[in-house]
Amino acid sequence: MSREPLLPALLFWMALALLPLAAPSWLLGQLAQHLCYGLLAMSLAYLWGQGGLLSFCQALFFGVGAYAYALAGLGKLPLLPTSPTLGLLLALLLPTVLAVGLGLLLVTARVPTGPAWAVLTLVLGVIGERLAVASSYLGGSNGLAGLPPLTLPHPHGPVELVDPLPTFLVLLVVAAVVQLGLARKIASARGSLLRAVREDALRAAHLGIDPVAVRLRAFALGAAVAGLGGGLFAAQFGFVAPPLLGLGLSTETLVWVAVGGRGSPLAALAGALLVKTVEGLLGEWLGAGWPLALGFLLLLVVLFFPQGVFGGLLARLARRERP
Amino acid sequence: MPADPTLLLLDALAQALGLFLVAAGLAVTFGLVGVINLAHGELLLVGAYTALAVDRAGLGYWAGLALAPLLVGLLGLLLDLLVIRRLRERPLDTLLATWAAALVLRQTVVALFGPASHTIQPPIAGSVTLLGAPYPVHRLLVMVLALLVAAFLGWLLFATRLGLMIRGTVADRTLAAVSGLAVARLEALAFAFGAGLAGLAGAATAPLLSIDPQMGLGFLLPAFLAVLVAPAGGPAGTVLGAALVGGGESLVAALASPVLAQLVVLAGAVLLLRRVAGRRVGRER
Repeated sequence: MSREPLLPALLFWMALALLPLAAPSWLLGQLAQHLCYGLLAMSLAYLWGQGGLLSFCQALFFGVGAYAYALAGLGKLPLLPTSPTLGLLLALLLPTVLAVGLGLLLVTARVPTGPAWAVLTLVLGVIGERLAVASSYLGGSNGLAGLPPLTLPHPHGPVELVDPLPTFLVLLVVAAVVQLGLARKIASARGSLLRAVREDALRAAHLGIDPVAVRLRAFALGAAVAGLGGGLFAAQFGFVAPPLLGLGLSTETLVWVAVGGRGSPLAALAGALLVKTVEGLLGEWLGAGWPLALGFLLLLVVLFFPQGVFGGLLARLARRERP
Repeated sequence: MPADPTLLLLDALAQALGLFLVAAGLAVTFGLVGVINLAHGELLLVGAYTALAVDRAGLGYWAGLALAPLLVGLLGLLLDLLVIRRLRERPLDTLLATWAAALVLRQTVVALFGPASHTIQPPIAGSVTLLGAPYPVHRLLVMVLALLVAAFLGWLLFATRLGLMIRGTVADRTLAAVSGLAVARLEALAFAFGAGLAGLAGAATAPLLSIDPQMGLGFLLPAFLAVLVAPAGGPAGTVLGAALVGGGESLVAALASPVLAQLVVLAGAVLLLRRVAGRRVGRER
């Protein structure tokens, strides 16, 4: 899908913004966390749906963002002050730098966007998780706890962001800005370039497009969005551990995006919210059966709904808008 | 650690051949069917748990070793019919679907056997003295089995009519189809055969390690890397690839540390993969 219809996005965000009028505060707190996962899902949808870069390690950048926030929040970084705000900045910056570094190593013109790329990301995810578990600086498999929450500027001095309602509203604004920004990016000339490289890198190169640069930019942007989600997640959760960057979360992200719709960040975000909400409702009841259900869900969606549930709807709307 | 060099080399050889046993099935599905089967590790897992269940039922280890490849091969056939075949035109989705299948298989094993780890006693306990060093008998058995599998694969592919038909399908699927070969049936057969090899590998290596539901991935990646870095096609290439990855990991683990060994192998494979990927996996169908 090249151009996302704007109306569903606006309706979606308005509906979410009105939710605090009706929803209990525990639900808002939960949704605020799920919106962090939503950021992760959007980053993968952009990479996979638009760029054709299926990633089995997208949670790596989420986790690096979370750890960056944790390290800055706990003052474990040499030469840098203890500051949650700085932590959030680093949660954006560090994953981006990591993605550019890994990208320079991996996103070459010769490695196709197909299966080989996906397997490389799988290996990266495993390396990242093992390093985090092995590192005592990062707290090993116990992770790091006791992180401070984010602080917001306020006329009466800075306020800590702990209550569900303000947290939810902040996350809502961040996610909406990211979603609309990505939609704009997808509709722009840069978005067309990314799709051109996805469809045929060689032909794009012959037309004067640098496929490596295009893929690298997409990879870095995806990492930044995922990292931001990770940083905001750590700020709410107050605790980071290796599962945040492991294959388990990366796989969950794949499920959300496949269920929602890989072609559109909005659909992917909605997929994340849907699956996480269902998990909240059924997870306890299903217990260990939940991961099994997720596996079946992914299998069925890949086989029968490659566009995803919401992606199919959005595509239909887009067709109706521009016949 | 003052390691005995003979023992060190034997360990590296055992690791390499054990890895070959795992990688052989993967090489079959990847090389012959063109499918990167991310469920291969979990097929191996099912093989190992089959051996465990049969052993627990009191039928002994050998019955499990015989049953595992059959059962897992059947599972592979089912996987091909229900999933792989439907996604032939979508290689990226095939990858994703096998990953989903892996999740389903792993969680089914958890549901049936619990998340804890189990062990199986090797059928022939004890060790023999080899080149002046004592060595566990079962490890030698696995090594011999790996060599037998390599020889069998070579014979099947290069000395039989079936092998010729399969190689023809790999070389040019369309031409093979118009020449009257039942390519879909051949591919289903090859996929089931690759899965059966995974089952065999799982049952064969089961007495050497602790069996737990997470072990699949630990096998999948090194095996996968062995297949991808294989310097030549066919079973001989896979043996060399396995020697490179498995032997290397075993030596680094003995001389430095196991964690470092895994990281070195993975990082080395990333770099190697980057060089071969364009050439080998590049055929986007």
